[in-house]
Amino acid sequence: MKYLLMTCLMAMLAGMSPDAHASAKAAFEIYKKDKTHLKNKKIAHELIDGQFYFSAIPYINQYLEENNDIDAELEADIETLVVKTGTMAVLNLDEKRLESFNIPSISLILGKRLFDKEQYEKAYTVLSKIPDTHKFGIEANLIKGTIKNLQRKNVEAMNFYEQCAKKAEQQESSFSKEINKRYYTYLKETCIIRTARVKIEEHKYEEALDTYEQIDKRSYKWPYILMDKAWAHYYLKDYNRSLGLTVTYKAPLLESYFFPEAEVLMALSYYNLCLWDDALKVVDHFYEFYQPKADALKDILGQNKKSDTYFLDLYYADPKTRENLNPFIRNLITQTRKQVKFNLDLASLKAAKEELALLKRLKNKNDFTAQLEGNLDSTISFISAKINYYIKKEIFTFINEIHKHSYSMFNLKLELLSKKRDELYNAKSNAQSDRNRGSEQNVTRKKNQMFFDFNGSFWADELGDYSFGLNSQCKDQESK
Amino acid sequence: MKIIILIIALITMNAFAAEETAGKTKVYKYKEYEVIDLGSMEIKGQIIAPGDLTVNERERKVFKRSLLEKNNFDFENKREIENLR
Repeated sequence: MKYLLMTCLMAMLAGMSPDAHASAKAAFEIYKKDKTHLKNKKIAHELIDGQFYFSAIPYINQYLEENNDIDAELEADIETLVVKTGTMAVLNLDEKRLESFNIPSISLILGKRLFDKEQYEKAYTVLSKIPDTHKFGIEANLIKGTIKNLQRKNVEAMNFYEQCAKKAEQQESSFSKEINKRYYTYLKETCIIRTARVKIEEHKYEEALDTYEQIDKRSYKWPYILMDKAWAHYYLKDYNRSLGLTVTYKAPLLESYFFPEAEVLMALSYYNLCLWDDALKVVDHFYEFYQPKADALKDILGQNKKSDTYFLDLYYADPKTRENLNPFIRNLITQTRKQVKFNLDLASLKAAKEELALLKRLKNKNDFTAQLEGNLDSTISFISAKINYYIKKEIFTFINEIHKHSYSMFNLKLELLSKKRDELYNAKSNAQSDRNRGSEQNVTRKKNQMFFDFNGSFWADELGDYSFGLNSQCKDQESK
Repeated sequence: MKIIILIIALITMNAFAAEETAGKTKVYKYKEYEVIDLGSMEIKGQIIAPGDLTVNERERKVFKRSLLEKNNFDFENKREIENLR
């Protein structure tokens, strides 16, 4: 009775909802009285009922560490935890232990972990345990499709991607909450883009371009497909359209998106139009623009590689502070913020902090609340370190991308210099100076595409539809 | 010392015996004078200019550097899965 009154008081003081209050009370009673092997499972259930998701994680993990049985109630609880906390639901369990369970939520987490470790066959087997009709079946199909795609089994990959897109669309319309809708829209669009990419890999460029049309310009995924489309046009030898798509990243609206690969593709397009000087300008700009940034980022990484909070603190810093440090960081963090994983982890961090604040506001403390607080403190530190690591990894990947494409640009520059040398030997060095810089006649367009002049300003509705009108100098070179 | 003298005597006797078995003493004589008339030397054959059979005409090899190709989207696809949850 004493405990019950105390818990009620605790709950009221903390401003908990009646449900949360009842659950906290029940969890506390189980903690004190239950001596069975189901104790941790019951505590977790009560905490989840009271929406103390992060507080429930250690109890679920402890139970699964010691027991193999998962009943319907526990399965539902784990699913709720996966939805609310992501992969942290079974944070402390290693892959070997997770293999002994056969429920969709754990299979998804294990499958993804194995995928990240590049154990594709094993990941595929684990993910195949998830029924197609289950809500996690959409993500499972996406990952399975990716595995088949990596193994160059395109027919199977295509099949998984199409199933994924179809089911995600059904789920998308079944939710009324915007946040849930958005997640399934994201999955649907990801799977549609994957089908288009498979078509590009199979050299079906026109089909791929038609598939990309399904992605709305307002979509979060849209800026990323510009690169894919530019490659499709490049392989269709429509270099002007490819240039138009890559130049879209220079629009102020897309300021925070930077793809070193776009610069390479732009230079390659000029190269294929035999416009050596234009291509050389892009190559030189690449080195001037990206090299100092890569060096600056490398310095920041080197100085703070051991810190668990530095990069997360950068995220919280106001834009002015970030700009003082390195203006490039602002855009890089803006781009990172658009990643789903980053947002989910950030939301988890916020929710975990709120839970901890709720516990700290309690006036009557006991060993149970102390245990909850201690666990939550550890969970918050873990999530913070995880996000910090994520940003660090993004920066590292970006630097690697620059280096990778520097090599491509170096090769291209050698090729361009060789072409220019040949021109000099053949006395054709003035061939480019009298060229026509652009004309509507050089623009390839479909029946449904209109033509407007570019007057030096980017318009949001025009983005992604630009095309250059440059005349290829290749014919001139061959004839002279 | 005696043994060394004995061995040398035996070897010397053996050498003389070899010359004696040949029966005659060989005398080596070398040509004292020889004239080679290069003008009268003749080489039989045909003088021909290098033609198709001797020189293979081919275009000069142009080395092409590998430029960036996009054969797949593995990098992007993997990153998307990493960023899923």
